[in-house]
Amino acid sequence: MVGFIILAVLSFASAVGVVAARAPVHSALYLIGNVITLAVFYLLLNAEFMAAAQVIVYAGAIMVLFLFVVTLLTAGKEERERPESLAGQRALSGFLAIAAGVLLAGVAVRYSAGPSVTRFSSGYGSLAAMGRLLWGPGFDYLVVVALMLLTAALAVLVLNRSADDPRPAAPAAPAVKEDPS
Amino acid sequence: MILLSIVITVVKVILLIGILMTGFAYTMLVERRLLGFFQLRLGPNRVGPMGLLQPLADAIKMMTKEDLLPSAADPLVFRLAPVAALFAALAVDAVIPFGAPIHLFGLAISLDIANPGIGLLYVFAFSSLGVYGLVLAGWASQNKYSLLGGVRASAQLISYELAMGLSVLGILITVGSANLETIVQFQAHHWWFVFTQVIPFFVFFTTAIAETNRIPFDLPEAESELVAGYHTEYSGIRFAMFYMAEYINMITASGMAVTLFFGGWSGWSFLPPIIWFLLKVGAFIFVFIWIRATLPRFRYDRLMNFGWKVLVPLAFVYVLATAALASGAI
Repeated sequence: MVGFIILAVLSFASAVGVVAARAPVHSALYLIGNVITLAVFYLLLNAEFMAAAQVIVYAGAIMVLFLFVVTLLTAGKEERERPESLAGQRALSGFLAIAAGVLLAGVAVRYSAGPSVTRFSSGYGSLAAMGRLLWGPGFDYLVVVALMLLTAALAVLVLNRSADDPRPAAPAAPAVKEDPS
Repeated sequence: MILLSIVITVVKVILLIGILMTGFAYTMLVERRLLGFFQLRLGPNRVGPMGLLQPLADAIKMMTKEDLLPSAADPLVFRLAPVAALFAALAVDAVIPFGAPIHLFGLAISLDIANPGIGLLYVFAFSSLGVYGLVLAGWASQNKYSLLGGVRASAQLISYELAMGLSVLGILITVGSANLETIVQFQAHHWWFVFTQVIPFFVFFTTAIAETNRIPFDLPEAESELVAGYHTEYSGIRFAMFYMAEYINMITASGMAVTLFFGGWSGWSFLPPIIWFLLKVGAFIFVFIWIRATLPRFRYDRLMNFGWKVLVPLAFVYVLATAALASGAI
């Protein structure tokens, strides 16, 4: 329970940090922290595969790409407040956040009577159990998700190459010039 | 009993970190001496017998140097970056089995700090966090060369991680477990995977060199183009931490290659398992240094082409073949 509370505080603080931080790189760092606390939550729930996948996919790949873009775009720029382009977005987002919080709190109160799962079956959440689930009853969903991802990847390729502007062939290796110095 | 296991784990953690730090220092010395021999010179041999005290002299030099902070740098991220790099490098080693379990005072002590069922995924998770040290250092320095180094590092590591993940899938399929101890036991009783997974081994080793940013994949710190890349602005102990991270990553990568493809600690019984493990790791470190002394650096577009168009398809085809064989489709 103590561990859970510490984690919850860390997770909450990092989530607040994502929206409160001024520099985008700091926001990204807070988000990485949040992703890692989530992974530890999964570990507490005995879902070790989910924890590893969370770190590998979100912290190890997606956030690295985020940082790649953010560092490239914000390097050497002064931090300054831009005028907001969407009117009233702060009020709206605040309202939505409170509404979502109330909803989640309601769910938590409703199901707080006691743990519905008292004991994990052996091997619950392990790599083998996940594999059996995904390649057994969940196989159709797995295929659908795989097709979706493949379509998205192809779409990125198609959208990046417009028909009237074919990408020029890769330039030949530039001739190496001897530097006189 | 719980207290005892905590004490044992703490002792193992301290021992492991001590061994890795010493290993780092002497890997560096061995590398400098070997590079010297490869280039027909002697290398550092003045401090102590055969230069054996050189790491100590280097450590004193590094620790007493001034710790500079560029005025434009982001102070927190600048200081966090080397710690992140070193943390990720050290954390991976926690699950590598260094030897067969030993028996001490009637207790069976396994020679790894933890032995999770998802050991292989754990290794990938923490080694994928190592890139943050490089990217953050590059960004926080607020220096164009550093930034380019950091950006190069992120693109390179993402690309090569994919091929690395694919290269070990064949082992997962064959063993049926991601537990590193189980993988070693399988190899001790059957065969070493280097014999059946030849191509994946080469893909794994190539990507391992790329993930550790060693020559010929040291583009994030290419000194002829980027001064020193992501660690241009670092000095003193923080600079040393990047070096530690790089060399410990090299030791880890050698350890993983040995564990996955060369039977881990298994070997003939005239030497204890841990000695076998260390010998194999030492051989891999030698190959790392040998490659560094032999090959020139990649050009960046060739690096990307090689990763995406050669290594990924190769590993992928081999995974499909292994899966087909394992399922009996062929």
